[in-house]
Amino acid sequence: MQQLLNGIFLGSIYALFAIGFTLVFGVLDRLNLAHSAVFSASAFVGIELVARFGLSIWVTLPIIFVFGGLLGLVIERVAFRPLKGRHDAHFAGLISSIALGAMFLALLQAGFGPDTRRFPPDAFPQQRLEFAGAVFSVLQLVIVVVAFALMVGLTLMVSRSRLGRGMRAVAENPHAAAVLGVDVDRVTALTFALSTALGGVAGVLFALNVNSAQISMGSSIELKGLAVIIVGGLGSLPGAMLGGLLVGLAEVFAVTYVGSSWRDVIAFGLLFSILLLRPQGIFGARQVREI
Amino acid sequence: MSTPILVVEDLVVAYGQVEAVRGVSFHAEAGALITLVGANGAGKTSILNAIAGLVRPRSGRVLYAGKDVTRRPAHRLVADGLVQVPEGRLILGTLTVEENLQLGGWQQRSTQAASIKEMYERFPLLAQRRALPAGALSGGEQQMLAIARALVARPTVLLMDEPSMGLAPKVVDEVFRVIAQIRSSGTTVVLVEQNARRALRAADYGYVLETGQVAHEGAASELLTDPRVVEAYLGLE
Repeated sequence: MQQLLNGIFLGSIYALFAIGFTLVFGVLDRLNLAHSAVFSASAFVGIELVARFGLSIWVTLPIIFVFGGLLGLVIERVAFRPLKGRHDAHFAGLISSIALGAMFLALLQAGFGPDTRRFPPDAFPQQRLEFAGAVFSVLQLVIVVVAFALMVGLTLMVSRSRLGRGMRAVAENPHAAAVLGVDVDRVTALTFALSTALGGVAGVLFALNVNSAQISMGSSIELKGLAVIIVGGLGSLPGAMLGGLLVGLAEVFAVTYVGSSWRDVIAFGLLFSILLLRPQGIFGARQVREI
Repeated sequence: MSTPILVVEDLVVAYGQVEAVRGVSFHAEAGALITLVGANGAGKTSILNAIAGLVRPRSGRVLYAGKDVTRRPAHRLVADGLVQVPEGRLILGTLTVEENLQLGGWQQRSTQAASIKEMYERFPLLAQRRALPAGALSGGEQQMLAIARALVARPTVLLMDEPSMGLAPKVVDEVFRVIAQIRSSGTTVVLVEQNARRALRAADYGYVLETGQVAHEGAASELLTDPRVVEAYLGLE
């Protein structure tokens, strides 16, 4: 039971990271490899807000949401929009977003130094709760609730709102969307912003969960994020949610029952077996693009 | 003679080295139905896409309601009432019929709900299928949806690209009935068709295109009996 809960806490963060990652892929058919740099940067900035300005988590998270979104706008503008219309835009976007992500990380290191950063010890209530024999902190509960609230919110937004309709139109056929009068550039920028806003919040939640942040935290979650969205089905929002939970659970159980050095073996073994058994992922449709 | 609502001057559209449209000029009076006819590859679709802001012309000008709109982006033109029913319909098949109509009103948020209601009255079939994915509709139904979707934007000028393409004869009749209604409601229509005889019968004025240039033009009724046009484009009935 304890492991199940730990797996859900970790998995919900993976899921939140991955749902933003997969959103850009599903709508725009692009992988934004600077997504993980936003994850790291947001964790550092989040810790800074709490440590230096003494902000509460309920103030910090919305600020980070906006901060992550702004980074997304920068990424779209700098790493993707100039490539629009090129026949190799796909591949070029991968490279340029890796480059921009590396610059973000370099700036981060210049600003904060290479050391691990932590939240101040008494910043959050340390209260413990018990549920069916398992112990967890209030903070962990907050993490899960925030992650799921954001994911459900995103899913509703995509399926119900005007912007969501625009996103689905762009996802299916950008040319048709333009014919109808949808400002495709604007929808594209907003998709990026939303994606990285969630990635940023995921970064802070991750830092809260382990009470630390390192520059390299993004690169380790990046591969897992890729595994998650492939397990769930590329471009599928519910797939990213479920995939995130699965990978989180697999990792926690691997550490407990097999040994911590097996953690990544299990996570990527899961990816490997999904690719063998169901190449389109759990929720993947036969067509590649859907959200 | 009133001032034309749409004027195209010396339009050149090129893709790389290939010039698809080589200096085409034409105009449409407000409220008229004009048609551009010609064989495949005559540049008809390129002309409409350039007018609609979807393709940037190499040179030439597009004037709409007296203003130069050559470099205006597509979404602004839709907001201003210059709307296209695209070739191949471009229905968003994974979205519902209703969502397709709502997207047609993307730029007209205040009038969108009322327009969609009107469309449901005008095309009861779409009302019945409003919650279905648009991809489940038949070809003819999709064409009606494409037209209704464009009308939700309350166009002043409607550009129609091959609306009869791939449809059964009975459905083609219906499409042309709808086009006549649109025209009689005061909307200016620029109709591009391969079905030249049909288009000229519906139109006031016609332009015959040949390899990216205007080969003939005239009142539609005259073109229908012009021996050069009949021989090259209409054939014997």
